[in-house]
Amino acid sequence: MNGRYLISSLICSVSRKLVSKPTRITCHRLLVNVINVNIRDYSTQKNLVVEEKKHCNVGTIGHVDHGKTTLTAAITKVLSKEGTTKYIPYDKIDKAPEEKARGITINAAHVGYSTKNRHYAHTDCPGHADYIRNMISGTSQMDAAILVVAATDGPMPQTREHLLLAKQVGVQYILVFINKVDLVDEEVLDLVEIEMRDMLTDFGYDGNNIPIIKGSALKALNDDPSDIGVPSINHLLDSLDNHVPTIVRDLESPFLMPIDKAFTVPGRGTVVVGTIKRGVMKKNDEAHLMGFGIKVKTTLSDMQIFRSSVLEAIAGDNVGVLLRSIKLRSVESGMLLCAAGSEEMSNHFKAKIYFLARSEGGRKKPVFSKYSQQMFSGTWNIACRIDLEPTIEMLMPGDHAEVYLTLLEGMVMTTGQPFTIRENNVTVATGIVTETLKTIDVPNGKLGRVELNLSKE
Amino acid sequence: MPGLHKLRLPFVKADYTYKAKMIFQLVRSFHTSLSFRAAESSLLAKLRKKTGYTIANCKKALEMHNNDTDKAEAWLNDQAQAMGWAKATKLAGRKALQGLVAVKFDKNHGVLVELNCETDFVAKNEKFHKMVEDATSACYKFAHTNLQSKGAVTKMELDSEQLGNLSIDGKKLSEVLALFIGSVGENAVLRRAECWKANSNDVKISAYTHPAPSVASDYSAGKYGALLAYKQANDIEDRGRQLCQHIVGCSPLKIGDKDNDKPATNLDDEVCLIFQEYLLDPSYTVQEFLEENKMEVIDYIRFSCGESEETSLPGVEKQPLDTVQTLQ
Repeated sequence: MNGRYLISSLICSVSRKLVSKPTRITCHRLLVNVINVNIRDYSTQKNLVVEEKKHCNVGTIGHVDHGKTTLTAAITKVLSKEGTTKYIPYDKIDKAPEEKARGITINAAHVGYSTKNRHYAHTDCPGHADYIRNMISGTSQMDAAILVVAATDGPMPQTREHLLLAKQVGVQYILVFINKVDLVDEEVLDLVEIEMRDMLTDFGYDGNNIPIIKGSALKALNDDPSDIGVPSINHLLDSLDNHVPTIVRDLESPFLMPIDKAFTVPGRGTVVVGTIKRGVMKKNDEAHLMGFGIKVKTTLSDMQIFRSSVLEAIAGDNVGVLLRSIKLRSVESGMLLCAAGSEEMSNHFKAKIYFLARSEGGRKKPVFSKYSQQMFSGTWNIACRIDLEPTIEMLMPGDHAEVYLTLLEGMVMTTGQPFTIRENNVTVATGIVTETLKTIDVPNGKLGRVELNLSKE
Repeated sequence: MPGLHKLRLPFVKADYTYKAKMIFQLVRSFHTSLSFRAAESSLLAKLRKKTGYTIANCKKALEMHNNDTDKAEAWLNDQAQAMGWAKATKLAGRKALQGLVAVKFDKNHGVLVELNCETDFVAKNEKFHKMVEDATSACYKFAHTNLQSKGAVTKMELDSEQLGNLSIDGKKLSEVLALFIGSVGENAVLRRAECWKANSNDVKISAYTHPAPSVASDYSAGKYGALLAYKQANDIEDRGRQLCQHIVGCSPLKIGDKDNDKPATNLDDEVCLIFQEYLLDPSYTVQEFLEENKMEVIDYIRFSCGESEETSLPGVEKQPLDTVQTLQ
């Protein structure tokens, strides 16, 4: 197995280096790779992950006239000179083309560009609801946001709402681009910066250390070489590269694998197959098999990748696992295999949900608490009841809200896990789990009888 | 000479060439001493914090009044209206389909008002909420004072222009709106309003908006709204609000007549109010619900935010306010 990884990593690095300019340095790297055989490194693919050009989702938010689209066009223009990106002119970035994701109409402009280190997918939506839908439908979780403020106006009343949105969709990293700085002077600029930092701090961001870049997107677009022209865009991109850390494949957490299928190997036992979501599986590790209200302890007796036994398997691997003393009857697809004691089952969750509008094929009538339908997530589905916050009377199709989910049986759902609700085989809602709550009792398997004590929670 | 430049600089727009601007800036910085700058800068921050007007305007105000904050503030407030109008004129015509629908009602009066803006960010801002509330109060007052009593319910539909002519605290709504546009820099439109007055004691008015406020009150605002006039005996629990909620949720197109209209074959496509499944208890139809509670629906209206298209009808003369009352 180690040999396999060694070879594959070598091939990977050779081919990658050959694509870029084959200099003496890369040859040297190659040699080092051959000599410095650190088995562990290769067996976990760790260094491969780091060398990959990482992907990052950014979005622009800001007032309609403050130059979001101009900035986006300027970024692609500046990067197109380096040959990594295609220049998209201002009028080609559609203000709000409609796109469909899972049947949901989202007004969003998507633009892609690459810096030396990373590839970025850039999202721009016209409204608050569009960003929320974009997040819930799972098309892209925004890792970072660029808040665009025109120096001439400074923060506007609705800038608070923009920051609130960033908080709501879980954006961890914010950068500020103060645009149109050529139209004002130093002192005004300082004031805008001070006001922005104050406001960011109010919203719980690290206001003092957030990168604030000053420039003119329009000048950059016109190839102006002065400080506020092209260099300001480069400065912004550098800050993006440095301020937003790369999200690496999670190998440190306890392993977790949703089960796609299960079968019996005569004379050996039950084998479950799936793709490891996170962590590292080792032979003879203790594990829990969970889902649909069942939780069984077992041991990983053997693991196979492409029909050959391995000692270790890591996140991203598709693996067959032989489980000790588990009967096939007790395994269902949709269950989860995880490191012993690392996950808890629950039938009660908090989630952000979006009900599809009528025009998107959603419901015609509003939804009330105790709404019960089949829920689909990953490889499984289960009966589920939806309860609204006590302050909300009803949800109209097209609305989004935080709701409480109660499943018929306990399942493992991780934060951020997407799901859909289907009614008569038609998707009427989609959502993501935001919090796992304490299991609650379902009397006689009837969801309608569940007593929720929402005011207490 | 430098004073003159300073005055104009913050408003320099793209029509100045870059070079010219550089020279201006050079001249400016040459004439501005450091200590003077520091004082000015902190004053600017203070003034902006206090008034909330754009940085460029605050700076202009300070420069015009030799850093006298009180005078600058007074000037800003004076100018705000004019600047608001200028901005409003500039932004007019941009699509505004987000916003809020608000209701205000008592037993005999009810108003439904729609105010639009360009993005839902602005619709969430408290200034926008204040603006909607002002507009609704103006209509509410109008419903109390200007509606003539004829028939069971006097109804009056106001369009954008008529709405703008109503006043609140001695100020025209269109002026308040221009101020608002000046401050958020986004187009906003007083779209439409409906003012109702019940003329007899047995006719009641109720209203509902979605999302509903957590505490029931006579004013609320949301994405959808409905106004209902109905008759119900006083000794029975008032069901007006529930019926309004049904109207918001199920959007019937008309009340329907038991004798002349036929129920649709598919219940989900039903457009007559009385044949629809009652939203809060689908085992009843609305008709059965009305009979049970001894209610009679006289009229209703439902607004969904952004549903009305911005169509101006050229050639159609606007009728003066007092002649367009419709009677029921």
